[in-house]
Amino acid sequence: MRLLVLIISALILCFSTISFAAEREILIGLIPEENIFRQMDRYKPLSEYLTFKLGMKTRFTILSRYGDIIDRFVMRNLDGAFFGAFTSVLAMEKLGVEPVVRPMDLDGTSSAEGYIFVRRDSNIKDIKDMKGKTIAFVDRATATGYIFALAYFKEHGIKNPLNYFKEYYFTGSHDSALLSVLDGRADIGVAKNKIIKERIKKDPVMQQEILIIARSIALPDVTLCLSKKIDKGLKERIRDILLKMDKDPEGRKVLERFGALRFIAASKEDFSIVYNLLKKADIEIKTYKYR
Amino acid sequence: MKKRLIISMALLFLLFSTGVGITIYYIYKTTTDLETVISLHRVEIIRQNLVINTQTVQTHLYTIGTAFGSELDVIVEHVSDLDRSVQSCKSCHHSKELTEKLNRVSDMVEQYKDALSALITTTANRERIERLRLVAITLGNTLLSMVQEMAFTADQRLYAKTVKALKDINNSKIILFLTLSFAFFAALTVAIVFTKQITKSMGILINATKELKAGKLGVTASYPYRDEFRDLSEAFNDMSITLKKNHDELLGFTKRLSHLYRATIPLYSLSEEGMPYNELIGVVKELFDATDCRIFIRDNERFLDIAGKEIILPEKEIEALHLYYRKEPAIFTLGSAPSIKTSFFDSINEPSLLIWIKEQERLSGLLIVMNKKHGSFDDTDLSIAAILSNLLSVSFMNVKLMEDLRNRMRELQQTQEQLIQAAKLAALGEMASNIAHELNNPLTSIIGFSELSQEESDIETIKKDLKIIEQESLRAKEIVNQLLEFARKRAINIVEVNINLLLSEILKLASLQLKHSDIDVIEEFGQVPIIQADHNQLKQVFLNLINNSIHAMEKGGTLVLRTGIMDNANIYVDVEDTGHGIPPDILPRIFEPFFTTKKEKGTGLGLSISYRIIEGHNGRIDVHSEVNKGTRFRVILPVRQPSLQVSHQQSQDQSL
Repeated sequence: MRLLVLIISALILCFSTISFAAEREILIGLIPEENIFRQMDRYKPLSEYLTFKLGMKTRFTILSRYGDIIDRFVMRNLDGAFFGAFTSVLAMEKLGVEPVVRPMDLDGTSSAEGYIFVRRDSNIKDIKDMKGKTIAFVDRATATGYIFALAYFKEHGIKNPLNYFKEYYFTGSHDSALLSVLDGRADIGVAKNKIIKERIKKDPVMQQEILIIARSIALPDVTLCLSKKIDKGLKERIRDILLKMDKDPEGRKVLERFGALRFIAASKEDFSIVYNLLKKADIEIKTYKYR
Repeated sequence: MKKRLIISMALLFLLFSTGVGITIYYIYKTTTDLETVISLHRVEIIRQNLVINTQTVQTHLYTIGTAFGSELDVIVEHVSDLDRSVQSCKSCHHSKELTEKLNRVSDMVEQYKDALSALITTTANRERIERLRLVAITLGNTLLSMVQEMAFTADQRLYAKTVKALKDINNSKIILFLTLSFAFFAALTVAIVFTKQITKSMGILINATKELKAGKLGVTASYPYRDEFRDLSEAFNDMSITLKKNHDELLGFTKRLSHLYRATIPLYSLSEEGMPYNELIGVVKELFDATDCRIFIRDNERFLDIAGKEIILPEKEIEALHLYYRKEPAIFTLGSAPSIKTSFFDSINEPSLLIWIKEQERLSGLLIVMNKKHGSFDDTDLSIAAILSNLLSVSFMNVKLMEDLRNRMRELQQTQEQLIQAAKLAALGEMASNIAHELNNPLTSIIGFSELSQEESDIETIKKDLKIIEQESLRAKEIVNQLLEFARKRAINIVEVNINLLLSEILKLASLQLKHSDIDVIEEFGQVPIIQADHNQLKQVFLNLINNSIHAMEKGGTLVLRTGIMDNANIYVDVEDTGHGIPPDILPRIFEPFFTTKKEKGTGLGLSISYRIIEGHNGRIDVHSEVNKGTRFRVILPVRQPSLQVSHQQSQDQSL
């Protein structure tokens, strides 16, 4: 009788463990840097690689707008996210996430700059020409797609920059901001240099079409931050797998698809420059309305 | 048949191979067609997916940003599906026109994706958002119509291809069916034809085998076709004929062996008449299957024909012939053997068999077997002739030995008769001498006393002399009486006798004699049955034996009278003494008449009379004696006298 109870208990335990294991997955959010469909295509191999290496289902999910990310992170109970320079700081402050790794791009850099650009044929040459025009930002919660521009305008004596323009809007992604300017839906655009360079690489004519008015200092590019709820061991394993990817032939293939040389370690210190930028833009992170 | 079988099999194989080839070709063609149709269907599915995905994404467009909007991941997934559908369309080989169309679709999809992404990610005022939505919807609709148009065109092509593939499949089915049916019926026909032929051929052979098995040796199978079975049938026929031949030969041998055996019977059944020549001639003729046989036996210097004796063959000529044939049986042909002058041989026209009869190494006869009924004499005949020659030789020797034996026996009998006659005469002489001697003594006394009384005057003296003469005359008379008694054949009067009682009675009679002697008498009477005998004669025998014993023990001794059962049918009576015994040289003669050792006391006729009495009772007397130790007479008598009439008188009433 005892033996029977023991066997049944063991079986129940076994099945519950299996079902728990089956349900456990790692969900990582992505901020919409570019065309979300293309971005998903880039990240998909990475999720498969992590699933294989961790032995745990790893899935990426697009966070539709920069502004949503903190809410959605909480709502969807994310384990981590690839954040931009500002969103990283925001998440560190609001959610206590920890920066883990960031990709090193094919050009060997792991930082990005923000550009303020116009169409070459727009007759806008400097900040004075921008008055009363339509400007397309990426999102309130991007350093390279909004905050650096805000700091730039403030540095140039414009106290209330948003009123300086006839219309402003947020495209939600860097390439949308570029396309908005190119399509004439906006006169001025603000976006991350890397996305612009990518587009120019694909369509070199674009080089002749746009004119860069201002650029930011180098800011930490998209960074994987992991939730504080993930135990240290798993965190270390994820960090380890990503840092050693370039040593693994399979990993190299994934990196190639992803468009990076390798992953490098990231830390909170990398983001002091972002805090400086926020100060220049008169943004108090704790009260900042990023939505 | 082998050749036909090989050709048929080869043709069948060719037919099957062709069928298989055609089948494989059609299967290949059909499979290829089907593969094309399937791939086209797959493409069709891809196109339909493209349409569905585009339509799905289009639906999302209306709900994005509203409470009914799908999760972004779902939208992303659908757009990815749409993208994949387009990419898979492009990955196939297409005509230039179609490739261009697909490129346009692909570009359109890219634009659509940009517009979608912009709509999804943009945060702006309502008007801008609606403008972005409109752009995306317009692009989506254009894409949808392009894809649907393409799907319709492809659909038509697919239909045409499917119809063609189905038609091909149908055609190949018919061809396959025809090919297989033809091959099957061809194989069936070949199988039936060959099976029939083989069964028929086997049937002929099986029937012949059955007949052979049933004992019809020499049966042959007549096989009408020219094939392997003909060889088999011929081999069978040869076997059957050989079997019959061997069987017949075997039967012939058995028959001849039987004749040979029969021939030996007269040779061994010797009789007073000597060799049964006529019977011998008969079996020899049978043995060699001949019509004529003659036997010649050596008589002095010639060989005489046993049948008629009219043919005489000179010894020298026959001996020469015997040597010429190296003393072996031979087949004689006129002219073949040299130095034949006798006219008898001229009459022998055909080869004849010569069989020699020998006594040890000497030629004693000749058997000539002539005129073989079927064929001529051969080696087998010679072998049998050799056996017969040996048998005849042995038999002739046996005949001679028998004759010799008979002659010797006759001579022996004659000699024996002569000897018996001589012995009889000698015994008679001795008896006469004994009688003469016995009578001579009283006669001498009588003559002497007669002469004395003639010269004597004294009457008393004369009376005395006359008394002596009387006594001596009486003595002579007694001798004559005994002689008469011996010669007389007395009738036996058989009664039932108690032998123990008889012996006691005799001892009483002898008691006076025994009283004056120093003899102890011991009676050892056993339980003996009453016997059938002549009471008086037995009394005479035992009284005589007891008297003899008393005389043998003059200085005293022991007399034992013993009776007992000898066997189921006989009893015995022993009269045993411890007297002087009988010397061995005398012992064989004691039962002879007038033989005595007692001189004055006996006539020498007692024992011989006793012997005759006991012999008359079908009994016998055994004597065992050792000098100076004693003698035992054992009288053995049968209990019953089967051949004699028994007189039912009590023996006790009888007296001597």
